[in-house]
Amino acid sequence: MKTDTMRIFWKRSGRSGVSLPLLILMAYVLLAVAASLIAPQNPYDPLQIYAWEASSSPGTAGSGGYTYLLGTDGLGRDIFSTVLYGLRISLFVAFTSTALAALIGVTAGVTAAYTGKWGDALIMRIVDLQLSLPTILVALIAIVTLGPGIDRIILALVIVQWATYARVTRGVAMSEAAKSYLDAARLLRLPTRRIIFRHLLPNSIAPAITLVPIELGHAVALEATLSFLGLGVPIDKPSLGSAVANGFQYLLTGQYWISLFPGLALFGLIASINFVGENVRRRLDPRSR
Amino acid sequence: MVSAIIGRLSQAFLLLLVMSVIGFIGIHSVGNPVFNLVNAETATPEDIRRATVALGLDQPVWHQYFRFIGNVFTGNFGTSYIYHLPAFQLVMGKLPATLELAIVAMMIAAPAGVLLGLLAGRRKDKPVDRTILRLSVIALSIPSFWLSMMLILIGAILTGWFPSGGRGPTGVFLGTEWSFLTLDGLRQLTLPALALALPNVALIARLTRSGTIEVETQDFTRFCQAKGLSPRRILFRHTLPNISVPIVTIIGMQFGGMLAFAVVVESIFNWPGVGKLLIDSIQLLDRPVVMATLTFISIAFVALNALVDLFYVVLDPRTRRSA
Amino acid sequence: MEQQHHHEPLLVVNNLTLKHQGAAATTTILRDVSLELRRGEILGLIGESGAGKSTLGNAVLGLLAPGFSQTGGRILFEGLALNELSDKQRMELRGRRISAIFQDHTASLDPLMSVGSQIVETIRALDDGLTSRQAKSRALELMQRVGIPDPALRFRHYPHQFSGGQRQRIVIAIALAGRPDIIVADEPTSALDATIQKQILALLRNLTDETGVSVMLVTHDMGVISEIADRVIVMRHGKVVEQGATSSILDMPAEVYTKDLLAAVPRLRLPPASSPTNDVPRSADPQANIVPQTKLDQNPILRVKDVTKTYAGRSFPWLRRGPQSPALRDVSIELVRGSITGIVGESGSGKSTIGRIVAGLETAGRGSLDLNGRQFDISLAGKKNGLLGQIQMIFQDPAMSLNPRMSIGAALEESVWFGSRGSPSDRQDVGEMMDCLGLPRSLLLSFPHQLSGGQKQRVCIARALLANPSIIVADEPTSALDVSVQADIVRLLKETVSERGVSMLFISHDLALVQDLCSEIYIFRDGVVEDAGSADFIFSKSQNPYTRRLIDARPGRFTH
Repeated sequence: MKTDTMRIFWKRSGRSGVSLPLLILMAYVLLAVAASLIAPQNPYDPLQIYAWEASSSPGTAGSGGYTYLLGTDGLGRDIFSTVLYGLRISLFVAFTSTALAALIGVTAGVTAAYTGKWGDALIMRIVDLQLSLPTILVALIAIVTLGPGIDRIILALVIVQWATYARVTRGVAMSEAAKSYLDAARLLRLPTRRIIFRHLLPNSIAPAITLVPIELGHAVALEATLSFLGLGVPIDKPSLGSAVANGFQYLLTGQYWISLFPGLALFGLIASINFVGENVRRRLDPRSR
Repeated sequence: MVSAIIGRLSQAFLLLLVMSVIGFIGIHSVGNPVFNLVNAETATPEDIRRATVALGLDQPVWHQYFRFIGNVFTGNFGTSYIYHLPAFQLVMGKLPATLELAIVAMMIAAPAGVLLGLLAGRRKDKPVDRTILRLSVIALSIPSFWLSMMLILIGAILTGWFPSGGRGPTGVFLGTEWSFLTLDGLRQLTLPALALALPNVALIARLTRSGTIEVETQDFTRFCQAKGLSPRRILFRHTLPNISVPIVTIIGMQFGGMLAFAVVVESIFNWPGVGKLLIDSIQLLDRPVVMATLTFISIAFVALNALVDLFYVVLDPRTRRSA
Repeated sequence: MEQQHHHEPLLVVNNLTLKHQGAAATTTILRDVSLELRRGEILGLIGESGAGKSTLGNAVLGLLAPGFSQTGGRILFEGLALNELSDKQRMELRGRRISAIFQDHTASLDPLMSVGSQIVETIRALDDGLTSRQAKSRALELMQRVGIPDPALRFRHYPHQFSGGQRQRIVIAIALAGRPDIIVADEPTSALDATIQKQILALLRNLTDETGVSVMLVTHDMGVISEIADRVIVMRHGKVVEQGATSSILDMPAEVYTKDLLAAVPRLRLPPASSPTNDVPRSADPQANIVPQTKLDQNPILRVKDVTKTYAGRSFPWLRRGPQSPALRDVSIELVRGSITGIVGESGSGKSTIGRIVAGLETAGRGSLDLNGRQFDISLAGKKNGLLGQIQMIFQDPAMSLNPRMSIGAALEESVWFGSRGSPSDRQDVGEMMDCLGLPRSLLLSFPHQLSGGQKQRVCIARALLANPSIIVADEPTSALDVSVQADIVRLLKETVSERGVSMLFISHDLALVQDLCSEIYIFRDGVVEDAGSADFIFSKSQNPYTRRLIDARPGRFTH
């Protein structure tokens, strides 16, 4: 099923060419997927790490027969490799959690809008409560409750994000549900599932789609923040956030590269996602044009 | 209006209740705090049992929760396992530092953000607008912890202009210690306040921009033109008051957001505030302090939201009386 | 300065051409438009959407939206070429010499400022010499003048505390504040109910006669024109089709398009002798007014009795705002098999609600419904009691009645699937139905946004018919359509009923339309049946003051 939204999206990007942020984002994804092929070192394998070369500055030649392009961290891991592997974890966590949150949030929003009554009230009350708190606080509470681990942090991010999708989708779905084509569908006694998924959902999903890139950026940033605080992914498999955290103590002694480069990579990633999101929003939302 | 206030309050109450349940269960599921009191390797079962009873952990979960709720109303969150001080007192002691940080940051962020937002909104789709929008996306893309670290790198390590962390000397005012009263304190405050302010400048600017555009596209500005008012008067008497309604909301909400983000900034700048206390306590499994902190932040939030709503009522006659 | 300069042109538009630079292309909005506005006259600019009439009004005000540019011709105000003036000079003209009234009275006023202050600020902006006390007394005078009762008290109120009609009166007061020569009134009454519309138009006419101000009245409604305009300019696609005195245009239109416009307006036919006055006392019991003229069919297909509905708060009753008023109170209606029954009322009268209850889309608190001799419990949801699906509906806005993401063919197939659930032999052919309703079969693969409004409404009729209903509820099926299309749809509905033996409940705010179509008519007001009877009874014999008022509210020239 190709919706109008999608058509507009493709037509537009076809005309103006693929934008620079999108190219950068695609490059990031490619680097993450091919991390084990590109990286000179597997930073998770202790046998490939030379501990005596810890905190080498960028450009130092390493014992493994390759140059530490971006230097090494306090444990002797190649920063360039750490960034690539960390990127993989960061993107995996962000994509998975965003997809799950969108799925759950959109379904909850549409269902709440159509069925109404107490189910709607209950769902929206939870959403209101959650959205009245800053995301970082909700994330903290969730991760403290759930405990550490990649699966837990994905779950925590889903908990943080689903509410936004639910509220946005419900808002549109409510105004769509008030339109007479939905009454017409009800008058034909179509099954509730068909009414929701064939009539209501396709017409209520556009704002959720514009939300995806924005929330993807949030997810990357939140995961990084939680990992930085030591509440996210395990330390032995650092994401970009924990890689920055690893370098924090060395920053004060002047070994800036340990946190600078993972941080730059993270910033570039979030910025490219956000610019893509901004473009999508501008294209799909006629008012902001 | 009465029903609106009742609705507001019942929602606030619900918020607190849900927060306390989640927070309580959350803390409960993390580790066993008994091992903070006794050495896990040398303790006898009897030691552990005594410590458990001392902490009230032998009671059923719901019992512990209700005792906790009862204590919340009396401001008694129990005693910190680590500092051996009343948890609430501990939080209150850290509060001025956080408030000071957030207020200074907001004093930077709000004027800058509102100004940039107005500028962009009134020059929609012009180069100024595009530039401000792009810069705001970039500013919002910098993770706050990395921004803090880069500020330390540039402002402290490379140039040596500002200290890299800590609170430094304070002056006493109203019986509390404040940094802004001493010059050194102000220098200490600069970097963390900047770290907290920068993303908020971008956010406030964006929201102010869309508020401005929204108001300017409304028909009454056109009608004001049609009835012969000068652009100056339309701006100051009609557009700005109408924009101020969403702006007050935005600033109120963002102040809350700052309190939350203080968690990150404070731990990096080693700023002895509530946020740092929360992270430290989570890592040390200091349950009473975590509870006290979370409850306090929630209450602060609810109060802030209510305050924002109150402002709303003052500013917008439509909410003042039900038509 | 009463009328003495009546024939001297105040404003002259010469060969005006205006273009709009859009994202994709440049479109010509106005092409070679010429006209004159004389002192003290009301000049009507009429046309359907896209005619360029509003743009012309904005050009006169000097308030063209970004993207519009004047590429040819001139607008002369007292010999002064407006497009050669600086922004500052134009600003000084606005309010003092040329003023405006917009359609949306809610959006025209600043919600954060009391109406008094908004009038005073206008007075003081336009006349620096006045003290605030003088300005206030003039503001009160203006409020009095436009018919706001108790101005001294209302002075301090905010826009949201006024009704729609009153807000538009305030807007008029503001427009008058600078004693302008010209008022550009862009659809000033389109957002108002018929009775209020009539009052506002009367006020405008009155003000013109007394103050000598000229009004440029932009509208899509022939009724409004016939009511107050001295002269008319008919516009279409950015060009002037025809112009002349209102009476000659209405009685002897020269152009085909004007004739079409006029023909499409439903007219009330009133017997000459009946014009009872408004002071007939209203009966205490609304039901007592119902004097059915023809004996109703003993066995109607639909009989609804004593339906009462109160809107309840959604989920948290204790958070409900404002007092509750019942949406419907003791409403009873009957529908004769194979006929069209009309339900008429202004917005908020409950006319749509009864339609939705009958169709099973909404529940009622109390009351009974008998369809084809079968009883339905209407306090239950339509899906539970089996009522839902028995009756199909045609809705007001065809743009919203079709799923935008579904092809026409797919939408109609859903209906066929439903209509044939009972027996496969009832399965109707989509293609045949399309032919019947004058829709090309090629549209089956199209999506709603590719269809015109009239085509969409035909598809909606097809969808309703394919479901094999015994009754169709048509809720204002023509009011969102351009006048030229309305007549086609009405004719189609008539044919549908007479040829297919369907019965129809026709809901409308337009008495003339109902007179044309319906044999029985119910008049709704504030949730009760105010008056009922045969069309003949309602229009010629009914003494109900509200019915009379509705009939009188129809613009004058069309009631013969």
